[in-house]
Parts: sequence; structure tokens; C-alpha cells
Amino acid sequence: MGGRIQEDLLCPIAAMDLRIRGLTRDYESDGKRIRALDHVDLNIDSNEIFTLLGPSGCGKTTLLRCIVGLETPDAGEIAIGDDIVFSSEKGINMPPEKRGLGMVFQTYAIWPHMNVFENVAYPLRARNTSRSDIQERVERALRFVQLEGFGNRPATRLSGGQQQRVALARALVAEPKVILFDEPLSNLDAKLREETRKQLHRFLTELKITAVYVTHDRVEALALSDRIAVMKQGRIVEVGDPKKIYFDTDDPFVADFIGRANLIPATVRHSSETHAIVDTAIGPIRARNSRRIPVGGKAMLCARPEFIRVDLPASDTRPNLFRGNVIHRIFVGEAYEAEIRIGETLLTTTIDPEVAIEAGDDITVVFDADHCFLIPSS
Amino acid sequence: MNRKPLLTTSLLVIVGFLTVCPVVMLAIGSFSAGFGRFDRFTWMKYVEAYSDPEFLAVLWNTLVFTTGSAIVTTVLALFLAYMNTRTNIPFKFIFGVVTVLPMMIPHILFTASWAMLLNPNNGMLNRLLMEIFGLKTSVFNIYTIPGMIFVESLLDLPIAYLVIVPAMSAFDVSLEESSRVCGASTLGTLFRITLPVLRPAILSSVILVLVRSLASFAVPSVIGMPGRIYVYASHIYRIVATGFAPDYGKAAAVGMSALAASMVLIVVYRHLTGESERFVTISSRGFKPTLIDLKGWRYPAFAAVGCLCFLLIVLPLLVLFYSSMLPYIMTPSAKAFSMMSWKNWMTVLNDPISLLSLKNSLFLGFVGASLGVVLSVLVAYVIVKVRTKASGLLESLSFLSFSFPGIVIGVGFMWFFVRTPLYATLSALLIGYIATYLPYGVKPLSSAFVQIHSHLEESSRVCGASPLYTMRRIVLPLLIPGMVSGWILMATMFVRELTVSVVLSRPGTEVLAVQILRFAEDGLWGRLSALGIIMIFISSSLVVIASLVGRKLNQMNLIG
Repeated sequence: MGGRIQEDLLCPIAAMDLRIRGLTRDYESDGKRIRALDHVDLNIDSNEIFTLLGPSGCGKTTLLRCIVGLETPDAGEIAIGDDIVFSSEKGINMPPEKRGLGMVFQTYAIWPHMNVFENVAYPLRARNTSRSDIQERVERALRFVQLEGFGNRPATRLSGGQQQRVALARALVAEPKVILFDEPLSNLDAKLREETRKQLHRFLTELKITAVYVTHDRVEALALSDRIAVMKQGRIVEVGDPKKIYFDTDDPFVADFIGRANLIPATVRHSSETHAIVDTAIGPIRARNSRRIPVGGKAMLCARPEFIRVDLPASDTRPNLFRGNVIHRIFVGEAYEAEIRIGETLLTTTIDPEVAIEAGDDITVVFDADHCFLIPSS
Repeated sequence: MNRKPLLTTSLLVIVGFLTVCPVVMLAIGSFSAGFGRFDRFTWMKYVEAYSDPEFLAVLWNTLVFTTGSAIVTTVLALFLAYMNTRTNIPFKFIFGVVTVLPMMIPHILFTASWAMLLNPNNGMLNRLLMEIFGLKTSVFNIYTIPGMIFVESLLDLPIAYLVIVPAMSAFDVSLEESSRVCGASTLGTLFRITLPVLRPAILSSVILVLVRSLASFAVPSVIGMPGRIYVYASHIYRIVATGFAPDYGKAAAVGMSALAASMVLIVVYRHLTGESERFVTISSRGFKPTLIDLKGWRYPAFAAVGCLCFLLIVLPLLVLFYSSMLPYIMTPSAKAFSMMSWKNWMTVLNDPISLLSLKNSLFLGFVGASLGVVLSVLVAYVIVKVRTKASGLLESLSFLSFSFPGIVIGVGFMWFFVRTPLYATLSALLIGYIATYLPYGVKPLSSAFVQIHSHLEESSRVCGASPLYTMRRIVLPLLIPGMVSGWILMATMFVRELTVSVVLSRPGTEVLAVQILRFAEDGLWGRLSALGIIMIFISSSLVVIASLVGRKLNQMNLIG
């Protein structure tokens, strides 16, 4: 079915790759210069769903607005497919309407004085497409986002989720080279956001289009992306596929930002092919060492709560097993969130609801050696 | 960032000229010995103005008139707003009528109709009461300070109501509910919680009415002057327009203190409205204020509101229609109805000065509102979208004239125009009008621009539309409602304009309101009513035409 919609909507596919070199953008604020983008280099392949993830103020939205042409960088180069759309050296700065992109804004930017059909038809009218062509293509776009028959509705009367789909249809209708999303789900409430995220995932995988997606929500990033770039203070910290970013990051900031993480300072004592044994404040722990940190090297041990197993006290002595006690426990539905202590070290973890452990109890703690990993300390 | 320095600078020059020029000219004029020459500096005008034995009486009258109006208006507005937003009073649509319709009736006509009803000699209501109860003397005398306060309060009621209603309906009901839970009664909660929390809105309403009644000229001229009760506005009018030697220097000297008082009040008002946004709690969740069940009081309360409605709208209009058909004021009777004729209408429509004033007012309404809207669009754009230090200055400048009492600013412009070829031309009136009423155009257009989120324009660019196409398809259509309401506000105000005109209007540039004032001064109530109804008809038609054009423009855009 996906293939048929794909043929229906975009034929031929015009998805292109995106190359960014040395992009720099400064802001002037209260007489101070703030560097919003600091020599950003990025390659986004065609048909890739690429996410820019980071805390607010990290420059991700500025980067997106530079790609689309709503902001002018101070230096660098942006190329879409074979076209250079911005280059400070060559003096090229193509206006947004010439770049042939599609964008879904955070506010959706649905024009209140037009109905749904006119909103979606707008990019075609701006390009002087023929009347019959417009009718057909708008209907196809509306069918794709499951808003068939909504054409005559006033756009502002739709629900938040429906407005978002109108914005998507409008961004897709003119067959853009790249489609850009600026935090499209952040205006929806929690329940609807989850639903829309699934829907968007289906749309994007069916479409086979190059997409750049900006968000500060790690779940969105993990769920939707082929690759993720994590940004911090105008720089790209790390680029990788969701699993790599989640399970095997190179950077403590990324480890902490992409999910809850216990970061424990460690020194490598013994190293094997894939794993290493490290000395920490709570004792020796076996963990994955894909970075091949040599013996004696300093590292951060990253242990995510879901990979620290907590059990009733037992007398066996497996590796990676420690004794501690529970300080604090909160029921959150699918599990307990708990704060535990091993020696002087505090850790965050989850406890299965059926395990009969309460605050103050002694416990055994087991670290999953294949899912705890080492990050080189700088 | 798009800073548009050229546009901002030229607007600063234009708006600066419109608003600062009359103030500066007023100040210079108040220190000048002769009229139109600034060669001799003198303190004499101030000495003359403020040592005048009559000045003390004027000051006292003004104080009583303005504070009296402010208090009566605000109490009435609170009553209306409370009834509308917080009780289950029947027929709520009537509140919409109370707020909109009186604005269609020009102040001078409203005032004149009350003079016809309640004057002590032949006021219709007085005569009626004397006949019914067999009295020898009139019950009411409108030509007193309480009479002035009564009419001024009714005139300012809609604006005070519009200030109080948003605060009242944005009121967080849980504040009251917790008071009830703590054991206070409904009435105790009203006085100890509701009204104190609404204090900023109440004070805003008081100050706004103070400013408006200080600037008011219709009531002081039509009701105050026959009763020899002079307030600031009519005192200034007396100095420049009556007697053998108009003294514009002395008028300027008096005007300076009125202007200062008004500006201080407006500064306080803006401070308060800024504060009220913090003070009155607006909660978005579960917004269903519990309505208070009036029970047996539902219909008596409605009767009170209906009575206000009658006094505000129905009665003045009825009186105007009725007396336009009669040779002189008389109570409705068989004799009166037998004497009815179209004579007044024929006289007015054959009177060259009345016809000239009709033509002038129409011209000023159309051209003035159109120019005013163009200027307002540009000013609002710079204020809302450019957002530099200079645009902040422009905002302050464009709202400065909000505090100008019309007659004072008229005197200021007089000092300017007398040395220019614009003196005694319609252009002089046009400039004076736009300067005085600029905020009424800038306000709706600013809110229109605020609603055009920058994403709406940017999204159009990304969709492949050029800046020009974006302007035509997105920005302009979204501005049209604001432009239409700005145009309607300005056009209706210009057609009825009185306070600036009484100073600037000269032979040849008569306007409707001034002509109506002349009829009132001469006691020609029949002609006044006929011309007045024509005036109401004109401003209502302007409203209808503008709304239709606005709708048409929007439809055209929808089709593309």
C-alpha cells in the first residue's frame, strides 16, 4: 500500500542530498555577540530522515532556517543536490522561494483566511501550475495525509493534529527537494503527540524523501530518524543512527541528553576484544569498550536505568553484582523509579513493579555488561 | 534583520509633526503677545488667564463635572458588566446593543436631545410631568452640573463598559469560590474579593472617563453654556469664539494646564493597564465562570438594564425624529401631531451653509479616514514588526494624541495654521483630525499586525512565493479586517467631529457638528434634529459601505 501512495503522490521522486560546509552565524544581543552556529559541517544523504537534536538555544532552529533561506549565515556554504543555494565566498544567496523546499512550521503557519484546499494549493499557485493540475495534486496530497473531503473547511476550524497534517500536505504538494520540520509536534498535547508521531513516522517512511527534522524531544528523534545530529552551543557534537547515539555514544553530553544515564568515572584496568573491566568508586565493573580505550585510560561508564537490574538480596557472587540499598522509590505506572546507593555512589534505576522492594531495603544490583558502555574522558 | 531606517525616519517626521507641532505651537503661543507673531515674549497671558476671577469657578466646575461623570459612569459600567458576565440575566444580546449603538449617535445630538427633553422652559419630559401632576414649575433643570454629569455619564458609558468587561470576564473564579468556601456570603465576596481584584480595571475606567469628560465639548456647550456653567473646554471656547476680540494667547495659556492634566492622567492610565495584565488573573483551564442565579431579581435586573438601553438609544433617537417634524418643542399631543410637517427638512436641505457642511464633512470623512488608515498601516507595521528603539519612540508619539483635549489641540493648530496658506482650508481640518484621532487607526491595525505571525509570511516564501506575491496573498488579506475597522472608526469620528472643528472651522469650511452647534445655540431644535438625522444616516452608511467593501475584498482573495 505504501508503494502505491508513493507513486500517487510524488512521481518522479526528486529527493536530493544536502551538504553544509563551515556554516557560521552570529547574533547581536544587548551589545554582545552570540555565536548561534559555529562552523557547522554536515552531509545529509538523499532519502534520509535526518534529525537535529539539542536543548533550546543550541542553534538547531537557526541551522534549519539557514537551510531554508529565512536567515542568512555569516559564512559557509549550503548545497542542495547540484545547486549551491548559499555561499559566502561565491556571493550566492538564493531567496527561500527559489530553493524549492517544503517546510512544516512549529506553529503550522496555516493561513487563517483560506480554506484547507487553498492552503494546500498555495505552493502550486505561486508556481503558476495549471488549474486542473492543481485540483488533482491537492486532492492527492490531502488523500495522503488522510484529509480527503476536508478541502472546503476553513483551515482554522481544524484540530491541532489536522492542522499539522494540512501543513504537511502543503509542504509536500509541490514535490520539494527536501522537506524540513521545525518542532512540528511541540504544540500538541502529550496523547496526541504520541499518535501524530506514529502517523508522521508512517508518512515519512512511505514517502522516501530527504527530510530534516528539528526537535528537542529525544523520543521523537529516536523514533523518526535514520540519523541524528546532536547539537550543543552552535556545534554538532555527534552524528549517528539512533541506536548508536543511544547505546554507544562518544560523548557524555549526548549520553545524558538522549536518555537518563548514570555516568560513573572509571579507569580501565583490563581490556579484551569488545569489553573492558574498569575500576570505579563502587568496585570493578565489566562493560562494553567499543572505543578501545587502553589499559590505564580514563573513561566515563554510562549505565542507563533500564540496564541496572535490582533484586532481593542473594548470596551468589556473579561479576557486575553489587550490594546496596534503596533510598527512595516512586511508582510511575509501568515500573518504579528508584534512587539507590552503592557505597557512596547514588544511581537512578527502574525496578519491576512485581519485585517486592521498598525504600530502605537492602538489595543486589547487577549491571548488564553488554549495555553499559565506556565513553572516553577528555 | 530588516530595520527599514528610511521608513521609520519618515514616519517619525510625519507623526512627530502631527502630534508634537500643536503642543509646541500651543506652548509658544501661550508666551506670545500678539496672534500669529512670536516676536514678543510675555508672561502676561498666563497672568491674565489664571488671575481671571472666573477661572476659579471654571476650575471648580471642571473638577465636579469630571469626577462626577467618572464615578457615575464607572458604577453604571460595573453594574452592566457584572450583570452580563456573571449573572443569569435574561436576553443577554441587549448588552451588545448597549456597547455598539450609542457610538453611532454623535455626542452633540445625544446632548441636544436631552436638552429638548429636560430643559426647564419647554423640555418635553418636564411639560409632560407638569401636565400629569398639575405642577406649576418644571421638575428637572438640565442646565445644571448634575444635568451635565447625567448626560456625560450616559455618553461615556459604552467606553467604560468596554474597559471593565474584559477584566470581569477574565476574572479567575476560583478566587471567589475560595472566599465562599471560607464562609463569606455572595455579597461579602463581591465587596471583599471581586471588586478589590478588579481595582486596576475600575481605576482605568475612572481615569479614562476623567480624560474624556475633560475633553468633552458637546455637553459643556449645549447644556453648560445656557446654564452659565463653564468648564475648561467651554471656557477656552468662550475666549476664542465669543466676544469681540478672540484672545488665542490666553486660550493657549489656559489650554496648557488642561493638556498637562490630561497627559498625566493618560500616563497613569497606561501604567495601570500595563499593571492590570499582571493583576487580573487569567486562567486558561476549565473556563466556565459560575453564573450567579438572580432568582426573583432576574426580571427587575433586566428592567434596569432595559431602562438604561432606552435612555441611551431609543429615547434620543425618538426625540430627534419627533422634533425634526415640529416647528417648536412640544409634548406629544393631538395638536402636535396635526402640526407635523417636513418643513425643517426642506429648510435644512435648502440652507447653503448646511449643505456646505454636509459636503465638507463627507469629504473629511472619506479622505481623512483613507489617509488616516494608510498612515496607520505604516505606523503599526513599524511599531509591531520593525521593533527598534526608533519604533518605540514612534509608538509613544502616535499614542500621545490620545491624551489631547480636542479644543486645546485645535488652539495649538490654530497658532500653526494662521501663518500658513492652510489657514481656513479643509486641509487644516484634515490635518487636525488625523493628528487627534491617529490612535484610533493605529490600535486596530497594530492588533492586526500582531496576529500575522512571522511564520505565516515565512511559510509563504518557502512555498515558492515572492515577497510581492506574499504581500498580496497573505499580508494584505489578513490586514483587511483591521483596515476596515480602523477606517470605520476614523470615518465616523471625522463625520461627527466637533471639538477640534469648533476652533479650526472658518466660514467656508463649516462641518456638520459645528453647524448643529450653531442651531443649538440659536434654539433651532427642529432644524438641528433634521440635520442630525442626516448625520447619523451618513455615518451609518459609511459603516455599511466599509463593511461590504471589506467582505468583497476578502471573497476576491479566497478565489485567488
